[in-house]
Amino acid sequence: MSKPSNAIRSSVPEKLFNAFNHLFFILAGITTLLPFVNLLAKSLSSESAVISGTVGLWPVGWQTGTYRYVLQNAMFLNAFQVSVLVTVVGTALSLAMTTITAYPLSKPRLRGRKWFLLLFIFTMLFSGGLIPTYLLMHNLGLVNSLPVLFLPAMVNVFNMLIIKNYFEGLPDSLEESAKLDGAGNIRILLYVVLPLSLPVLATIALFFAVAFWNDYFAPMIYITNPSLKPLQLYLKELLVASGGEFLKDNVDAALNTTPQSIQAASILLATVPILLVYPFLQKYFVKGVLIGSVKG
Amino acid sequence: MKRKYSWLALMIVFALALSACGGGGGGGSEEQPPATGGTETPSNEQGGQTEETGGEKPELRMLMQYGMFDPATEYTAKFITEATGYKVNYEMLPAENADEKLNLLVANKEEFDIMKLNAAQFYKLATSGALEPIDELLAAHGNHINNAIKPESWESATIDGTRYAIPETGSGIAIGEELVVRQDWMDELGLKTPTNTDELYEVLKTFKEKKNVIPLTGSKDTIMGDIAAAFGVVNEWNEVDGKLVHMAEMPELREFLAYMRKLYEEGLIDPELPINTAAKAIEKFSGGKAAMYKLAWWNAGNTISALNKNFPEAKAAVIPFLKNKDGVAQIGANAGTTWFIAIPKVSKHKEDAMKLLNAKLEPETFKEMAIGKEGVHHEVKDGKYYPILPKFNDDLNNGSNFLTGVDETNYPIYWQARVRKDPILQSYYEEFQKNAEGITVVNPMSFAPPLDAISKNKLKLGQMLNDHMLAIISGAESLDNYDKFLETWRAEGGADSVAQANEWYQSTK
Repeated sequence: MSKPSNAIRSSVPEKLFNAFNHLFFILAGITTLLPFVNLLAKSLSSESAVISGTVGLWPVGWQTGTYRYVLQNAMFLNAFQVSVLVTVVGTALSLAMTTITAYPLSKPRLRGRKWFLLLFIFTMLFSGGLIPTYLLMHNLGLVNSLPVLFLPAMVNVFNMLIIKNYFEGLPDSLEESAKLDGAGNIRILLYVVLPLSLPVLATIALFFAVAFWNDYFAPMIYITNPSLKPLQLYLKELLVASGGEFLKDNVDAALNTTPQSIQAASILLATVPILLVYPFLQKYFVKGVLIGSVKG
Repeated sequence: MKRKYSWLALMIVFALALSACGGGGGGGSEEQPPATGGTETPSNEQGGQTEETGGEKPELRMLMQYGMFDPATEYTAKFITEATGYKVNYEMLPAENADEKLNLLVANKEEFDIMKLNAAQFYKLATSGALEPIDELLAAHGNHINNAIKPESWESATIDGTRYAIPETGSGIAIGEELVVRQDWMDELGLKTPTNTDELYEVLKTFKEKKNVIPLTGSKDTIMGDIAAAFGVVNEWNEVDGKLVHMAEMPELREFLAYMRKLYEEGLIDPELPINTAAKAIEKFSGGKAAMYKLAWWNAGNTISALNKNFPEAKAAVIPFLKNKDGVAQIGANAGTTWFIAIPKVSKHKEDAMKLLNAKLEPETFKEMAIGKEGVHHEVKDGKYYPILPKFNDDLNNGSNFLTGVDETNYPIYWQARVRKDPILQSYYEEFQKNAEGITVVNPMSFAPPLDAISKNKLKLGQMLNDHMLAIISGAESLDNYDKFLETWRAEGGADSVAQANEWYQSTK
């Protein structure tokens, strides 16, 4: 008789613990969502309601004109195109380059492998500095061009190491049998190794895509031609140019500030597209990072 | 701190960039070009421009300050090409870290033909030898420029007797901010409009006791202004007995700070003053949480219409500038040069650059750049220029970014069309100016040439002083220790600034 009561007794704190845990994480989740809800509400509210701070989580003075305005804004659309282009091309190229760098480095039979690795890791720690690098880009004719936004960042050593580790985890016998069937290195990589590495590739692709989409520093340094500016730079400047510091002593700029409701709509429209990528790659995401990192 | 990290991150990216060079090229070719590769990204060229047949005019490259628009598609850019025959490619500094970016561009000898710079940028480039002296070019090709710009403005762009830029003075002397109060509450409480700081104190106190609102809100960036002026701190630099005195060293500043401290201590100023941005302060005023705010006229349109929407019975009124202890009201204003239009030494088209700048100041061309065509963009009513909306906004909202020097006699008149876009904005602008008429004191440093110590230290010292004043008002620092702060302020460049300012000031007499 005592057993069931025992079980019940022990399960009460456990249930409590679980309930608390769930509650905690649900609350934490909601906390991260709230800023988005607030932005959404602002973007759908009338400007006077936004200015006077009456908008919380629900729109006040409903309107959708902000979205119509942003989606018809030539600068926004242009920046959006640039961002999509840079993200798609950049991700594809980076993934290819990083993969073909990682593959040879994952093979112990590569001569001088340690040294090559050391060279790569060296670049993670030291660099030429901003101005020399700018001069280099300039001499290569890359300043004020789209490739400067993805070419210099094509091999990411950190991501390369993740892929390398994953490759090292694949059983050697697979490759040996492919070799026995007469496949060369390239064929082995393309038809044996890569199909087995989809999880890690998807993960790294996501890393790259998010990084390219969110990059604003490189364009800020290299791009002065307004029609080549990507979305994040546009957004950053939209917000800075509407802030106090920028408007000091610049009456004409102060007369032309972007309404806060339009700022909110722009932020949402610039953030949501990359968020939409996550659900599709989520399943690989968790699996991929784990597999790459657990060795032996 | 954040910026440090992003620089660090950039370094790492660069490191990667270098390593990528070795394996680049062929490796990427196995990737198919992605589907979006076909979408055209607009290139450098301005689309749809008619090819100039006017002969040998080269394309010029101009660097402008940041603005929220694409210069290539702007009406004004097209008009300039039409009117002058020069095709200009416009590029912009970023809104943030503009100075760093400018340094990069200059260090790298980017071949700009024209640059629009602010005072600090101009001084730095001019003294480091990056800008072309323009005296000879002006004599040869600058007839319209010489007519348009007044001698005292030239002074601001002259270093050791040589001119390095065309000064752009902007819209003339105008008062930006004045205290605005909820008149409906004043009436309700039977209060009279305060005329000096003692009366202001009583009004604020009554608001606090009877309405339980924030009596006076404000933003951290603009603590000076009409209350300070009522204590005698009118401008950043003030003439006292024939000498220039910086406001930090004025005994009157301490009186002002003591007064503000008293208000803060008694809860008469927004307790969040030291962290408020202008947007936050406007939020409080238009949201009915604060009774008084030093409003800038360019924010008046938004603020007042939001207030009226939230509280249809609300009425806002401007408080005329307060009188000082001698019963006299005064208010300070800055005049002088906002932008400097320079031709960099590396330019290969210096003469053409000057010809373009000159052609832009030809009176008719300039007028059309400033306010467009009559009947299309503006109309004239009782001698005043009024914008025709929405055409004026569509075409000319960003127009002033393209200006390179202004017709100093007429531009302040043209410019007012911009204020007449919105009746509320216009009424506040006009009321502020009317209240300030006859009592405006122009900062005596407005027309000083660039002075070394001031150019170098102005921003830093200004920030330092502002932070310290906020600390005193909020009680984090005691006013008794102000002398100690002043010592630091002097050591950090304040003493040099005062010395050089006076050296210049005596030389003008």
